[in-house]
Amino acid sequence: MRMRPPALRVERRAIAWWMLRNIIATGIPLAALTISSIIWEPARVWLIAPMIAFAVILVAKVALEPWWRYRVHRWEITERATYASMGWIVVEWRVAPTTRIQTVDAVRGPLEQLFGLSTLRVTTASSYGAISIRGLDRRTAEEAATRLAVVAELSEGDAT
Amino acid sequence: MSTGAPDILWMRLSARVVWVDIAVSILSLSPGILAIWVTGGDLSPGVLWPLVAVAAFGVTGAIGDILRWAFTTYRVTGTDIERRTGVFVRQHRTIHRDRVRSVDTAAKLRHRVTGLRVVTVGAGQQAGAGESALILDALSKADAEALRARLLTERTGDVVDASAPQENTEEAEVFATFRPWWVIYNMFSIWAYLMAAGLLWGGYWLVSSFGVDVFGVVARLADWEALGWVGITIAALVGGGIVGAVGLGVSFLFGYWRFELARVTFEQGSHLRTRRGLFSLREVNRDESRMRGLSIGEPLLWRWMGMADTNVLTTGLNVWDPQEPAAILPRGPVTVARDVASKLFGRENPFEAPLTRHPRAALRRRLWWATGLSAIAPLALAFPAAWAVVPPWVPVATLAVWPIALLAAFIAFRALGHTISGDYVVIRAGLLSRTTSALRRDAVSTIAVRQSVLQRRLGLCTVSTMTAAGWSAYEAPDISAQHAVDFAKDAAPGVLDEFLTSPGQRG
Repeated sequence: MRMRPPALRVERRAIAWWMLRNIIATGIPLAALTISSIIWEPARVWLIAPMIAFAVILVAKVALEPWWRYRVHRWEITERATYASMGWIVVEWRVAPTTRIQTVDAVRGPLEQLFGLSTLRVTTASSYGAISIRGLDRRTAEEAATRLAVVAELSEGDAT
Repeated sequence: MSTGAPDILWMRLSARVVWVDIAVSILSLSPGILAIWVTGGDLSPGVLWPLVAVAAFGVTGAIGDILRWAFTTYRVTGTDIERRTGVFVRQHRTIHRDRVRSVDTAAKLRHRVTGLRVVTVGAGQQAGAGESALILDALSKADAEALRARLLTERTGDVVDASAPQENTEEAEVFATFRPWWVIYNMFSIWAYLMAAGLLWGGYWLVSSFGVDVFGVVARLADWEALGWVGITIAALVGGGIVGAVGLGVSFLFGYWRFELARVTFEQGSHLRTRRGLFSLREVNRDESRMRGLSIGEPLLWRWMGMADTNVLTTGLNVWDPQEPAAILPRGPVTVARDVASKLFGRENPFEAPLTRHPRAALRRRLWWATGLSAIAPLALAFPAAWAVVPPWVPVATLAVWPIALLAAFIAFRALGHTISGDYVVIRAGLLSRTTSALRRDAVSTIAVRQSVLQRRLGLCTVSTMTAAGWSAYEAPDISAQHAVDFAKDAAPGVLDEFLTSPGQRG
């Protein structure tokens, strides 16, 4: 027995979003190291190793991670459950039954807004059990959130 | 107030709280007065200031407490429990009685002497979200008992009549009682040194406020010069360890004296109740309808003596609470823990189910990780050593970690196990504490299957069952990839069905 992949892909724009995000997150420390090695000559010997490490990470995170993630990240919402796969080096498949859903949010960070993307966050009573579906179109995420909220509100009990 | 029961009177905390506060402020002045009387007022500033601080701290605390008493009222209506408090910032808290998950009573020595009880009403608050339980500090013993009985046993919405006598239909079935020799299990811990530091500092301060030269006494105890640094370090470690262990033992005996674990059954349900304490009493009631399972942890260093920590998995109890409300037994023998488990679960005890071992690949993964982590220090030190910044034997010496890491990998592999037993999913894992957790399958709220690149090469998957109870996520690491989905499917019945394909199909 195996799990089939979720039915829907995320937006292709998400690749650009992940790329920009990683350039900012890894590029800034790399730039800081480079600048300090130029200004502060005695420290240059010690800064070479971290600079090489950050450069390798930057290449991997820009040339590899976004494409890899795009292949992995998929999602699906049915009447009974929310199902999503995510990750790249570590891949994870998560399923939360609709009856256990406590909150549904469509969240947009500043970078996501730039690309018109949105993250659908589905939380259950478990503090680790949240499913975040990233890289959805803004409208798709809002529609899915509304639909899920309607279905989930039908369930009784406090979902623990 | 916008509550639906305006006719129910607001009640005050017990007036005895005020008398206790007055007594506390007198007591906190007494060390200073005593020290002045003994030494005739000839105190050095180093001794005087702590005494002044104690007195000021005690008196302001007591005055603050009297103010708190004056401004705090509470009431229980048909549907809610409400509390109003606060001198400058008025606070009005309402907890719906349906949401009340635990009502605990506790008493420190000063409460026991005056017949008071601190009542804590827990409603599944999340400490991370900055919520706290509703605490009534303090009620008289009778009031506390009546409140507890009302909140826990009486159905909400019933006709409220506080004056009616409580019908006591409780029935207690005792699962475990205190054994003094359990003290051995609670004496040896790394906290012993913290305990020792506290005790020694307190002792030093107390004695020196009466003008005794502690350093002089210690210096005359032994010939420290002859011992050398190694000897002094060993003496300090052993001496500190003994003081700390005795301290921990005494504090265990005080805290758990007359410990009793019982299942209390009444009309609407049942509770697991623990009572303990010699001077400070503490009673915790855990609603069994909120219980989702049990976990027994066996710490690595003490496994040979069969030491175990027993915790219930339940919603609404904070696992970070230093009082450990989820622990239904003190640290003690694993045989007792298993015995309690069998009494708790009855005939279908998931802790007796044989566990499925994990594949050898799980061991290989652990060995790879152990090797990789052990390689970091030698590699990182290799360059400094090559440039003679660090002596060349240093990176070689750090290699000594490798065999220990390999051994740890093997122990961690041996700990792995999982199975489905009746209504429960049973998972055993953990290096430092081999923890067997039985979680009710219908309590699993999210199920996750995870695979890293290395796991994929080795044909392994990690299955996580997430729940609202206990530590929120219980993981079965490194199940073989073929069986992982079957296990996940059984761990959360019906949840995965529509996302499965048989291996023949393309998927």
